[in-house]
Amino acid sequence: MYKILEKKGLTINQTMYKVEAPHVAAKVQPGQFVVIRAFENGERIPVTPVRWDREAGWVDLIVLTRGKTTKRMEVELQEGGHLLDIAGPLGNPAVHFSGKKVLSIGIMTGLVETLPIAKMWKEEGNTIISLHVTPEPLVILKEEFESFSDRHVVDAYPMTETWMQDMVTHAVESTKKLIEEEKPDMVFIVGPTGVQYAVFNVVKEYGIPMEVDLHPIMVDGTGMCGACRVTVGGEVKFACVDGPAFDAYKVDFEELIKRNGFYSKQEQYAMELYLKSIQGGAQ
Amino acid sequence: MGIDPKKLKRIPTPEQAPEERIHNFLEVNYGYDLESAQQEAFRCVKCPEEYAPCIKGCPVHIKIPLFIKQVEEGNIKEALRIIWMNNTLPAITGRVCPQEDQCEKDCVMGKIGDKINIGKLERFVADYARKTGIEEELLEEMIQSIEKKDQKVAIIGSGPAGLTAASELAKRGYQVTVFEALHEVGGVLVYGIPEFRLPNELVEHEVEKLKRLGVEFKLNYVVGRTVTIPELMEEYDAVFIASGAGTPRLLNIPGVNLGGVYTANEFLTRVNLMKAYKFPEYDTPVHVGKKVVIIGAGNTAMDAARTAKRLGADVYITYRRGEEDISAREEEVHHAREEGINFKLLLNPVEFIGDENGRVVKVKFEKMETLEERDSRGKRKIRGTGEYVELEADTVVIAIGKTAGKIIFQTTPGLEVDKRGTIVVDENLMTSIPGVFAGGDAIRGEATVILAMGDGRKAALAIHEYLQNKQ
Ligand SMILES: Cc1cc2nc3c(=O)[nH]c(=O)nc-3n(C[C@H](O)[C@H](O)[C@H](O)COP(=O)(O)OP(=O)(O)OC[C@H]3O[C@@H](n4cnc5c(N)ncnc54)[C@H](O)[C@@H]3O)c2cc1C
Ligand SMILES: Cc1cc2nc3c(=O)[nH]c(=O)nc-3n(C[C@H](O)[C@H](O)[C@H](O)COP(=O)(O)OP(=O)(O)OC[C@H]3O[C@@H](n4cnc5c(N)ncnc54)[C@H](O)[C@@H]3O)c2cc1C
Ligand code: SF4
Ligand code: SF4
Ligand code: FES
Repeated sequence: MYKILEKKGLTINQTMYKVEAPHVAAKVQPGQFVVIRAFENGERIPVTPVRWDREAGWVDLIVLTRGKTTKRMEVELQEGGHLLDIAGPLGNPAVHFSGKKVLSIGIMTGLVETLPIAKMWKEEGNTIISLHVTPEPLVILKEEFESFSDRHVVDAYPMTETWMQDMVTHAVESTKKLIEEEKPDMVFIVGPTGVQYAVFNVVKEYGIPMEVDLHPIMVDGTGMCGACRVTVGGEVKFACVDGPAFDAYKVDFEELIKRNGFYSKQEQYAMELYLKSIQGGAQ
Repeated sequence: MGIDPKKLKRIPTPEQAPEERIHNFLEVNYGYDLESAQQEAFRCVKCPEEYAPCIKGCPVHIKIPLFIKQVEEGNIKEALRIIWMNNTLPAITGRVCPQEDQCEKDCVMGKIGDKINIGKLERFVADYARKTGIEEELLEEMIQSIEKKDQKVAIIGSGPAGLTAASELAKRGYQVTVFEALHEVGGVLVYGIPEFRLPNELVEHEVEKLKRLGVEFKLNYVVGRTVTIPELMEEYDAVFIASGAGTPRLLNIPGVNLGGVYTANEFLTRVNLMKAYKFPEYDTPVHVGKKVVIIGAGNTAMDAARTAKRLGADVYITYRRGEEDISAREEEVHHAREEGINFKLLLNPVEFIGDENGRVVKVKFEKMETLEERDSRGKRKIRGTGEYVELEADTVVIAIGKTAGKIIFQTTPGLEVDKRGTIVVDENLMTSIPGVFAGGDAIRGEATVILAMGDGRKAALAIHEYLQNKQ
């Protein structure tokens, strides 16, 4: 059991959990993730330590409320309560380099995963142009990015009915604009696979090297199950041990998009039942 | 020798009826009660120890006639004491060993009648002792006799190899810590083998026993990431790698990443460890649909097939070889057939065919034929016929084995592995790094529970030896 030292709603649907997990805090590096289990009958889901204190032994997680598990976390987990499990750190640390100009893109909550990586790259002597594309109510970490980034751009657009399609349009337009203005040596992106793919199709036209953090569905996160398999360069890779970062030019995005949608009916059903149960409970 | 004709037939063990059990995950076989166990024990001719073929056939050489004699006389405590000398997890091996290839293979009773049901007798001793408190008494005796030592041993992985080594080392007084990547202890015993064959509570019970022997468990520790072997070596006097053969093998054919194409590990983990069969009460989903095609015919394939059956599907086990080369335990094949699983032999998958949403809908196979010649593993060679067939499938489960995981190897400089990534050890199970031992599937590729346990025990003795000399 891992104590929740602090729980804080950052915006609607985005919650920060400061969790006591000395074994993870001691070792985690930018680019790595953890797999958590919050409830006895809960799922194992991957999330990313955003900040950590090795001595004090805690990590910060920022989680978007998306389906049943993350909704339950938002509703049921309390400060002083516990996560049942937090395994890791998992995956490969982000690569090291210096002297480059990097366009680091975070789409919606994907931004939080870019934070430790972009910070590290900055410290290693790179120029960081960071971009956050998000519906306006979900803007986060603005000051934190401004504090180290050479230029932090927030493309926040109104949250209307078409917000998901708008996300693609905004991501593509802002990326184009920043490539023209800043001429980066490399692009890095974390966010929904569909948006990553659309942005890649733009970056490709400029021939700029690009890395993507992939988010397939995971179960164990240790290479044991193969749920997270992705095709990269024509070969089957397990994102949890071979990734999560890959060369965008080699990734079969279309396959991954389909794989990620595989359980959507069951996920929706579980979410609806859950929402009904908590509404019933509140009466 | 005038033998009582009643002695020729096996005393049966009751089972859940097939039409009932395909709707639940409860254990299929109920095992013996005291009376029927005594009757079965009475059938054994108690071959002399130095001759008994059953002892030779058991990989850990349990003194089978001796324990069976105690069962016959109703001394279950003595029977358990005898078994424990060689095997600390009889409730498990009694259920999952391929007895027909091991202890029961050359049982002399087989020459005139049915072989003795050694597996079920072993299981009976363990179950009876657990339920009646006999085991508790023996455990107390054991705990009292432990002389604590200061030396510390780290064990990586909590499958049968790790659990056995932990028990043997704890009994010898060492301070043992088991590091496990997952959130539950037991390895394949909990995430792979289904409840209807090996209830998880049995594994939990073994873990509780180990805790009482002083073994510490650290869950959610992925060795190589959370802590590395070189780091463990600073704190511990010896390390035992029992991390299994974690990585599932895939087929290198088109469509392998379609939705609905699972590895057996993923399918079984979702159902067994994450309890997807209780979705939506449990949050982890699994997709089954109406038709399920399993690829492979080992224990893993049978488990996946029977699990899919219990989730309501029509199930086809497909195998590229013929009947005689099916490698699963006899009992599982028999149970699978009783449960209405269809066997389609001599079919080699060549393509998974999907719909426009990337979901599998069909599997295309080449029909195979067997040749007289045998390969290095003694299996009949096969050859394609150039004829193809298709089977409809809402779900496919690939159960064609596993290879070693790479996290440990990649993060342990100086650890020698072979071409397939399996850890190389000497005759004492020591790896290329002094003080680091390995056993179980990590050194064998996918093998069996009892071989993993045998390694755990052997490694524990080797570690004991090594640490005594080190002082
Ligand atoms: C390496 C990695 C790091 C991640 N880091 C973060 C993070 O820091 N913050 C954050 O908010 N989210 C992160 N995610 C995404 C997060 O895991 C999913 O949002 C979460 O699992 C959704 O669960 P749910 O039950 O609420 O939603 P569901 O309704 O179950 O699913 C909604 C969608 O989430 C995805 N998803 C569902 N289950 C899983 C699973 N077991 N593994 C991966 N994806 C899944 C699927 O695409 C699915 O369609 C990360 C994912 C990966 C792979
Ligand atoms: C579905 C299925 C059915 C089977 N049926 C039978 C049967 O009926 N009879 C039989 O004899 N055999 C059977 N087997 C084979 C048998 O289960 C294995 O041979 C046996 O479990 C191997 O034991 P082990 O201790 O070496 O490894 P495992 O049982 O694989 O355990 C290894 C453990 O190490 C952990 N681990 C891995 N890497 C790390 C790491 N880096 N850090 C920390 N922990 C780690 C894993 O999570 C796991 O818990 C079956 C196998 C499967 C998959
Ligand atoms: S451990 Fe396995 S092989 Fe040995 S006696 Fe028991 S069931 Fe038979
Ligand atoms: S070989 Fe058969 S009959 Fe002989 S001791 Fe063993 S179990 Fe009994
Ligand atoms: S999540 Fe199971 S192998 Fe990657």
